[in-house]
Amino acid sequence: MMLQVDFQAGKPVYLQLADQIRYAAAAGRLRPGEPLPSLRPLAEELRINRNTIARAYAELEAQGIIETLPGKGHFLKKNSSPFSQQTREKLLLTEIDEAVVLAHHLQIGRDKFLGMVEERVEYFERKSAAAKDGK
Amino acid sequence: METDTPVIELNHLTRRYGKLEAVNGLSLSVRPGRCYGFFGRNGAGKTTTIKCLLNLLRPDSGSARVFGLDPRKQEVTVKSRLSYVPDSVAFYPWMTVSQTLEFLAAFRRHWNKEIEADLLKRFQLDPAQKASNLSRGQKTQLALIGAVCPEPELLVLDEPTSGLDPIVRREFIQTVIGAYHGSDPERRTVFVSTHLISEFEGLIDQFTIIEQGRELLTMAAEDARQRFRKIRASFPQAPAGLDLSGALHVRQSGRDLEILADGNSEKLLEQLRARQPEELRCDSLTLEEIFVTAGTLAKAGFQAASGKPERLSQ
Repeated sequence: MMLQVDFQAGKPVYLQLADQIRYAAAAGRLRPGEPLPSLRPLAEELRINRNTIARAYAELEAQGIIETLPGKGHFLKKNSSPFSQQTREKLLLTEIDEAVVLAHHLQIGRDKFLGMVEERVEYFERKSAAAKDGK
Repeated sequence: METDTPVIELNHLTRRYGKLEAVNGLSLSVRPGRCYGFFGRNGAGKTTTIKCLLNLLRPDSGSARVFGLDPRKQEVTVKSRLSYVPDSVAFYPWMTVSQTLEFLAAFRRHWNKEIEADLLKRFQLDPAQKASNLSRGQKTQLALIGAVCPEPELLVLDEPTSGLDPIVRREFIQTVIGAYHGSDPERRTVFVSTHLISEFEGLIDQFTIIEQGRELLTMAAEDARQRFRKIRASFPQAPAGLDLSGALHVRQSGRDLEILADGNSEKLLEQLRARQPEELRCDSLTLEEIFVTAGTLAKAGFQAASGKPERLSQ
């Protein structure tokens, strides 16, 4: 998988990496059981500190998205979040709130906003299905 | 055992050349496992500081400690645990590449032949080539191989990439990253002085900016990028009556505003959004931009004297 970083993005670099991996997993570009890039080649390729990548992977592991097999590397886990339903919903809620606030500032109306959300969900479902078919 | 001892510790280091105070009461501390950036303009005192670490110069006052040791008294012990790539490298012109590496290896207790072979291949250096026939970039590459093969605890790089072409620079940095990744990474430390900051951006996890021999700013790179933001906004008409007193710096050109934020970008963005801007974007300052504006940032409320940044305002 291809990862990239932007030092001006205003988001910590380790979070950028974690988000890209989460995104790739949601879109089916990274499949359960598939390995993530190992630290050293990725650090050299992106020209970033290994600690940054280690931190991204640690975060993903804590959220139950990836698992580390000692001596083998990091792998995408099967869809099993260790968090309770309530915690998972709460995690999502903060993200939704942010989008709602932004939509307000950008003067995107309620119906348009909900329509866009639906569109994105469908988009990811399509991509995920296409990735499965492609296998 | 001694993992908590700073790899480098400067305490009010001062070094004069005649009347010129090249380094003027500089304090900083580098923890093991860090990649530490040491930034400053030409003549800011970077090389003088590094030379004090290596006992190539003696401080006039204050102290420099490397691995907790005094380089003046335990020079050999200190040097055996570090490698140094100076800004301009010179080799014996009659030696070939492989003879030069053999010569350097003779001074070392440990030398990783595998890394040597890998890097010679990566840099496409001919082992039979005479050092005098190498280009500037190739000489720096040879120096880097010589610095990395002993797998030292501390790698000191002084303006290592200036004068190199972009491809060689990229390879150089990737090699440093590889070396920094070697076995026992918790004890691998890199101290790099440079003004080509953008190249090292991703590698640096902490940095000090110096000016005229004094510390201007010391921060963790990620914290710095989180705190210092550049907001750009364009309005349909020149905005009047905006109170942007919370900003570090405001530049206005007609309908366009450029604002430097220090940890308060959200609040400033809120204020700007209320004015219905046509365009609004907020970026982190890169380390290079932080370096360029360090004077403004430092004035805005950092006290550098203790070696640790401290907020004064707010």
